[in-house]
Amino acid sequence: MEMFYIFAGITILGLIAYGLQIWAVRSTLRTGKGRGIGKDLPFPLPLPAVSILKPLKGLDDNLFDNLASFCTQDYPEYEIIFSLQDHNDPAYKVARKIKDKYHEKNISIIVEKCDVGLNPKVNNLMSAYKVSQYEHILISDSNVMVDKDYLKEIVKHMKEDVGLVSNVIRGIGGSTIGSIFENLHLNTFILGSVCFLDKFLKMPCVVGKSMLMRKNDLEAIGGFKAVKDVLAEDYVIGERIHKMGKKVVLSNYAINNVNEYWGIRRFLNRHTRWGKLRWRLGGIKYISELIGNPVFMSFIPMMLWEISRTTVSFALFVSLIKVIGDLYLGKITDSDSNPMVYLLSPVKDMIIGLIWFVPILSNTVVWRGNRYIIGRDSMLSPCPETGMWAWRYRIVDAIKARIA
Amino acid sequence: MLLCDFHIHTKYSDGSVELRKTIDIFGQAGFDVIAITDHVVNGDNGIGKLAHRFKLSVTAANFEEYISNIKYEAERAWDKYEMLVIPGIEITKNYITPEKSAHILIIDIKDFIPACMNYEKIFLEAKQQDALVVACHPHNMSDMSRDTLFLWNNREKYAKYIDAWEIANRDGVFNVISLKKYPYIANSDFHRARHLYSWKTLLNCEKNIDSIKKCIRHNKGVAITLFRN
Repeated sequence: MEMFYIFAGITILGLIAYGLQIWAVRSTLRTGKGRGIGKDLPFPLPLPAVSILKPLKGLDDNLFDNLASFCTQDYPEYEIIFSLQDHNDPAYKVARKIKDKYHEKNISIIVEKCDVGLNPKVNNLMSAYKVSQYEHILISDSNVMVDKDYLKEIVKHMKEDVGLVSNVIRGIGGSTIGSIFENLHLNTFILGSVCFLDKFLKMPCVVGKSMLMRKNDLEAIGGFKAVKDVLAEDYVIGERIHKMGKKVVLSNYAINNVNEYWGIRRFLNRHTRWGKLRWRLGGIKYISELIGNPVFMSFIPMMLWEISRTTVSFALFVSLIKVIGDLYLGKITDSDSNPMVYLLSPVKDMIIGLIWFVPILSNTVVWRGNRYIIGRDSMLSPCPETGMWAWRYRIVDAIKARIA
Repeated sequence: MLLCDFHIHTKYSDGSVELRKTIDIFGQAGFDVIAITDHVVNGDNGIGKLAHRFKLSVTAANFEEYISNIKYEAERAWDKYEMLVIPGIEITKNYITPEKSAHILIIDIKDFIPACMNYEKIFLEAKQQDALVVACHPHNMSDMSRDTLFLWNNREKYAKYIDAWEIANRDGVFNVISLKKYPYIANSDFHRARHLYSWKTLLNCEKNIDSIKKCIRHNKGVAITLFRN
């Protein structure tokens, strides 16, 4: 019973942290409807011209609409640069169609093989950056869909002392179990953590789905070359700009991350990768993520010691609180998820709890077809193809292929 | 080259994705031409009757609604994605033995064709409607339970009616089609969203129904590609 009380105590701590996350999200968004932080800010006049850099690789769910949403911005002067590594990428055809459909817009498609760094997204960005015309650049992922006033709203935050503006992210769509889990996780844990760090710890936690900055500031921290071998290039850019003495602002303007047809494997792969990344960036602080997963912590006494009325009731009670909390977060973020979906929230938390241990056991990541070793500050180095250590990965790969 | 898929199912038969969403999946992925080809199952045996009972078949009763919904969605797809959507069906003659079973795509169909008619009648009716006739997965597949070998086993008799043969279906490739030098196309046999990533046809022709049918029938400017993300 002693162990139960210890874990019950940790679970209650987790619930308090979760409550603070909800509070942080609520306070950041302020329900977002006309009363958000950015809403009261005046537009800088004249509005600066912006180069939108869109690195493309493969087909994301809703890719056509995602790209089209950037072509219909209510903004006086901006250009869009789609950058790809080769013409055979299926996203190339979609980019061509978008360029044809919005032929009156300033859209360029850059296809250039660039392998300067190990981070494929940064490689892709480098080619787009070279041809970008304007001082303000916006890095925007291909799985993001925005409303017409997006550019105007985020530019408002770009004052003299601000170096980078990122956005809160809302997961939408969700027709398969993998994408339902993904959206639940984005709208609860990821959103909560980003807002919590921003609100209470004043720590910049930039997620690269939307990053507005000036070329001058980027150059001052060494440009894209400085992060070419970094897995968490978004976080590191934000951190370096912050260290340089400029503000990193989290805009409460929610951008949509469309996840419609994910398989469960994709969900597991992404969060294993992100977990490894946070373990390498945060070190010992990574433990707080486990403590901050009250559902998982409440199930541990049941899994490891005994299944009794007390342990089962406690786990179910915590799960119920989590479902209600997640439902509330979904409501304030205007999530499009069916309310019944939130009943899956404890299942998702259990999976995330199990995934938490993987980064401690493995320091490699397979990203867009390549395997890397993740070092300190998420620095990547190529994984050896031969030698004793390579056997480990090959055996794992063989088992995975067998299961698949 | 036009990126095409001529073998797609929706919830009108045994697909798991609704018509509108299916069209959006292909439109969002940049496709140029697709054909919606839900099953029309023969109702003259137990297997077929089950399919009808569980509403896994387009029937004479809902054919008009099926076609008009495809046409409505086709207009939307053209406006939004510049993607051509062609109405079609998959005549599904299922029997216990694969040697007796056959699946036939009728692309650009205008009027209902029942699957319980004999083969000659089906082919002639399709010709009369100037529809494209494609023999689906005509040879052994990795999943043997889906094998439909009748047309291949009787190719001497029926090849003259068939405009093209599926040389590849989803992940499978049928080498025998190329050995016989038959006209070919490759399709996904789409039932679920993940089937988007499968074999496809590339056509070098204008983006209109007549040019596409001509291109497939003459089998010039036709290539296949394994569409992967």
